[in-house]
Order: sequence, then structure tokens, then C-alpha cells
Amino acid sequence: MIQGLQQRKDSLSMQEIVTTYEPDNSLKKGYLSIFNQIFVELKQNRWLTYQLFKRDFLSSYKQSFLGVLWAMILPLVSIGIFIVLNRSGILNIGDIGAPYSIYALLGMAFWQFFSTGLVGCSNSLVNAGPMILKINVSKKSLVIAAAGKAIVPFIIQIIMVGVLFVGYGRAPSILGLLVPVFIIPLILFTIGLGFFTSLLNGVMRDIGNIISILLTFMLFFTPVLYGKPKMGILVTLTKYNALYYLVSTPRDLVLNGAIPEWKGFLIVCLLSVFLFIGCLFAFHLTETRVAERI
Amino acid sequence: MDDETVISVENVSKKYCKSLKKSMYYGAMDIGRNMLGLTSKPGRLRKGEFWALNDISFEVKRGETLGIIGPNGAGKTTLLKMLNGIFWPDRGKITVRGRVGALIELGAGFHPLLTGRENIYINGAILGMTKKEVDEKFDDIVKFAEIGDFIDSPVKHYSSGMYVRLGFAIAAHSQADILLIDEVLAVGDVGFQNKCFNKIGELKREGITTLLVSHNMHTISTFVEKIVLLNCARAISFDNVTDGIKEYAQLFTHKDDSEIERISSGNDSTKFYEVEIRKRIFKPGDSFTIVLKYRSELDYEDVDVDIAVFGAHEPVLYFQATNKAYGRKIDLPKGNHSLKMEIIDIRLNSAMVRIAIAIWSKRREVLLFWWRIPIKFEGVDYSTGRNFLNVTYELNE
Repeated sequence: MIQGLQQRKDSLSMQEIVTTYEPDNSLKKGYLSIFNQIFVELKQNRWLTYQLFKRDFLSSYKQSFLGVLWAMILPLVSIGIFIVLNRSGILNIGDIGAPYSIYALLGMAFWQFFSTGLVGCSNSLVNAGPMILKINVSKKSLVIAAAGKAIVPFIIQIIMVGVLFVGYGRAPSILGLLVPVFIIPLILFTIGLGFFTSLLNGVMRDIGNIISILLTFMLFFTPVLYGKPKMGILVTLTKYNALYYLVSTPRDLVLNGAIPEWKGFLIVCLLSVFLFIGCLFAFHLTETRVAERI
Repeated sequence: MDDETVISVENVSKKYCKSLKKSMYYGAMDIGRNMLGLTSKPGRLRKGEFWALNDISFEVKRGETLGIIGPNGAGKTTLLKMLNGIFWPDRGKITVRGRVGALIELGAGFHPLLTGRENIYINGAILGMTKKEVDEKFDDIVKFAEIGDFIDSPVKHYSSGMYVRLGFAIAAHSQADILLIDEVLAVGDVGFQNKCFNKIGELKREGITTLLVSHNMHTISTFVEKIVLLNCARAISFDNVTDGIKEYAQLFTHKDDSEIERISSGNDSTKFYEVEIRKRIFKPGDSFTIVLKYRSELDYEDVDVDIAVFGAHEPVLYFQATNKAYGRKIDLPKGNHSLKMEIIDIRLNSAMVRIAIAIWSKRREVLLFWWRIPIKFEGVDYSTGRNFLNVTYELNE
């Protein structure tokens, strides 16, 4: 018994962390220390983040016959609609320089990576509401893990694209192997925005609905399922649409092995990094407020 | 804060908002201000806000067990949530030394579709364990939870007992330095509760600090060494458990309900004109005597006299019987008479009760009398529970 006590004390003195809670905690400690806090928290909670991701993944496909195959259905339906619209001459897909189905499916893979991730993030805190109220769990991990929902559908869609390449007897560019690097800005953009929307959604449930509507609109205003527009208002919209660069750059890389709009992409990359850091920072300052409003 | 103080709460306050819409608006404002790096001025109340906890201070030393008691809505759970960092104080400062394990709800964070095995890992991670710790403790957890073959079934197929056992097992093995326990042990069956308390005792020997919220004064008096009593957003600390429990019982008797309810004292032909009650404050073992003087123009044969004793603030029926339970036939003849009733040797402890007395004519056709009389039983030191039984001790050679 005494030995047990001694052991406990030893282990306590080794790893004992002193935590203080007081209003405006972060503000008192100064801005610079916040980056350090965020970094330490993210690093400490890597395993938790993975476990939360696993929880989302396992649970979403467990009680379903088609399981992961659902990830294929939505993009196929959207692409099908566009094929029908195009063949009947209602919609002009434009010059895309590749078989339409490959072009569209590849675009949808990146687009859905963004939309699934953003929706997942936005709902992450609200869905975990009962848990957040009972256990002090890292909310950053919850948001990041929720963005992970986009990974499995993305991989499946990439495999489908591979099948299509074989089917058409074409080969993707070897530079396509760089896709994992070129989607980093997309990931930062998604999670950064997700940090922001998850907080707002925690306080006002309207945000979740607004995001679903906006995403539908954005899909049609962004050249994902059609080529880059050459006239009309869409030209201007596309020029200032960050998502266009985030989606089309990795796609061009796979299809043609080139980045035609590298300037725009570079600007959007910087924007994504700043968005991610800014939103993570804001999230850190305000996350404790959310638990009590959820 | 010295080395042996593991929890220090200094002048802590927490405010809540009554209206959901206002709460949304204030929340958005506070978040906006915090994002801009401005203080949200948490120390002042806005319209519709109130202090759920106000200026609370106490300390807990390493290895101590502190009981947190108080009536419903006193802020006990809010306090635990602040100690766990789920909510942050609006004023004051909380300092916690070591890892906190919260048992505010057992199995919080379980996913119903996932198996016990999967949930152990996920819940362990949520409670702050590392992969290595979960790997090491896995067998102990399964053994403690007694779930056997069900370990690979989805937890939604678990009985509620298995569910809470697993929840407790993970939390108890989470290597926390401080355990916050909120009434959760009340859910399991007796065998499980016993096991939980043994486990907590074991952890206590290893130097863990425990904070226990409970309405069960027996649990409190058995396990805790110090008490914080919360009432109306304020806190009082007691180093003596009996004093704290007495003060808690007092809260329920201070309320202004010592009024006798005279629901019926007769009708046109029969009047109970005087009722004599000798005393209203009792010690266990005292007798309650009541004398009813009446004037009646009619003869009532074979009346029913109902006596019931029930809790003044809680739906507990301590006793109910009519005169027939004692084989007594009672007639109320016309004229001026009196009926004396005595409840002998009542053995209640720290209780506020009402004695209801009703008199009915034969076959309960006419209600002649119905009063409810609040009486109070004082507490006995070193005793909890609703009853105070007569126990004798005899040591033999």
C-alpha cells in the first residue's frame, strides 16, 4: 500500500501539469505564447485525433449495406446530369482537352474533398455537443478529425479516375504523383474555414444550413464540372474564385502535367496558409466559449 | 498554492443566460471580441444573465475526498465542469495540479455502433490516455467491466448495466490524479456500486484526489472527509462532514411551510372546533398526540380515520393506515366529544414530514375532517438515513 502511494507520488511529480482557468486566459498570457499552446495541444492530441477520425469512419459505414460505395454515388449522379445536359445541347462544357468523365470525376474528387471536409468540420462541435459538455476533450482534434471524413471518399474517387484512365486507354501525367503535395493548400483552406464555421455553427445553428446552400451554389459557379468559362460574368467570378485554383491546379497536373495558372495558385496558397493560421488562432481564443452555448 | 494543494478555487463566479436567443447573441458578441483580442468583460452581468455560481473559494489537498452537496440547481455540476475545464469561470481563478478524470456521465463519448473494444480505445483517448496506457490497461478494463464475450459487440446491444460498467472501468483506469464524480454511481446495481467504491478506495490509497457530487447523504458521509455545500450560487466549506450534512438538511426546513393545511374542519352539521397538537418538533422516539374536539348534530357510526406520514418536500410515504389496520371500530356520537389519537414512538431522522389526518363517515360518503400538519424531526449526530432505529450494543465475554 505504501509502495503504491510512493509510486503514485513519483509518477505525479514527473508529469504533473498545473492548469489554470481564468477569464480571458490567453489574452493575459500574451499572443506569442498562444502559438506555442496551440502547437503543444495539437501535438499532444495526435492519437486522440486519429481515434476520433477512426470513430467517424467506422461508425458512418457500419450500419449500411453499400458502405463506402456511397462515396461514389453523389459524384456519379452529378456528372451524369452534366453529361445529359451537355449531350442535349443545353449546356456547353467547353474545351477541356480530356475525356469529359475523367475531367469531371477528377474535379469532383477535389471539390468533394473540400465540401465533405467543410460540412464535417462545421458540424463537428454540434454533433459532439453532448460529449463536449461532459468531457474536456480537445475541440481542435474534433474539428480536424471531422475533416478526415473527406479522405476515404477522395481515395475511392481517385481509384475510379484510375479505372477510367485505363478504360480510355490513356495515361495520366507522371507529375500527377505530386497531387498529395498540391492538395495541401486545399486541406489548409478546408480546415481553416472549418475551424471558423464550426464555432459559428456551435452558437447559431443557421450556419450549418447556410453552408449546405452555399456549397451547392459554389459547385455551379466554380468550373469543376465544366471548362474554364471564356465569356460572361463567370470569367470574372472564376478569376477571383480561390476554389477554382485549388481544384483545377491539381487536376491540370494529373491531366496535362502542367500548371497554367501558377501565379493565381501561388496567391491562393498563401491565402490558404493565412486563413488556416488565422482561423486556428481565433478558434483557440474562443473555443471555451462554445461549450456553454452548444 | 503549496505543493500539497491540488485544486484551488479562488473567488470563482459563473454566469448563465436565461434566454436562448440572448445567449446566442451574447455568445456571438463574446466570440467576436475575443477574436479581435479584446476582453469580453466577463465580470459584469448583461440583461437576462444571472450568477449560477458566485464568489466560490475552496481548496483540496492531495489525497483528500471532498463532497459537494446542495439542492438541485445549486451549481454542483457547473462547478465540476469548471474544474474539468469544460466551462471557464467568468471571474476568479481555478488552479488544478495533475490530470483530471471526469465522471460526469458514464460512457459519454461512446459510439453506439462501435464495439466495446473500439470504444475502449476511443474513450481512453478522449479521457486523455495514450495508446500505450490503453494497451496496458485494456485487460484490466475488460475484467473490471465484466462484459466478457460482449467486448466485440456494438455497445448499443449492451444492457444499461454493462454500458455504465464499461464507462466507469475506462475512467477508473485512466490514470487521473483527480477524479470528479457526479452522481454517476447511482445508476448501477448494488454489486456494481460496491465495486466502484472499492475501486475508488483503492485509487485513494494510491493518492488520488476525489470530488464527489451526490444527493445521497449516506454516500457522502461514508466516503468524504470535507464538504462544500452549495446553495443559491454560494458555497460554504465544512471540515466536519456531520456539520455539512446537518446544514444541508436545514436548507430544506427553513422554507416557509410550517403552516398547517386546514383543508376541511367539518360541515354544517358537524364541526371540529378545536384541535390540540402538543408539539411540532420531535426527536426520534417521541410520540405525536392530537386531540380533536367536535360538536355534531348527527351520529356517525363506524368512521374511517386515515393517518398518513409523508415527506414535506419529497414524494416519500413513511406510513399510512386507517383505524381498521389496528382492528379498532370508531363511532362518533352526536353532541360534544373529543377524539384523541397518538402515534407512539416515531423513529424518523432529520426529516420534515407532514402528518395527514382524515376522517370519513361510513363507506367514505362524507369527508368530515382533513388536515395536514407539518412536523420536524431533528437530526441525530453520526446518523444519516430517514429512520433512526433503536439499536443496542452488547459486548460479551
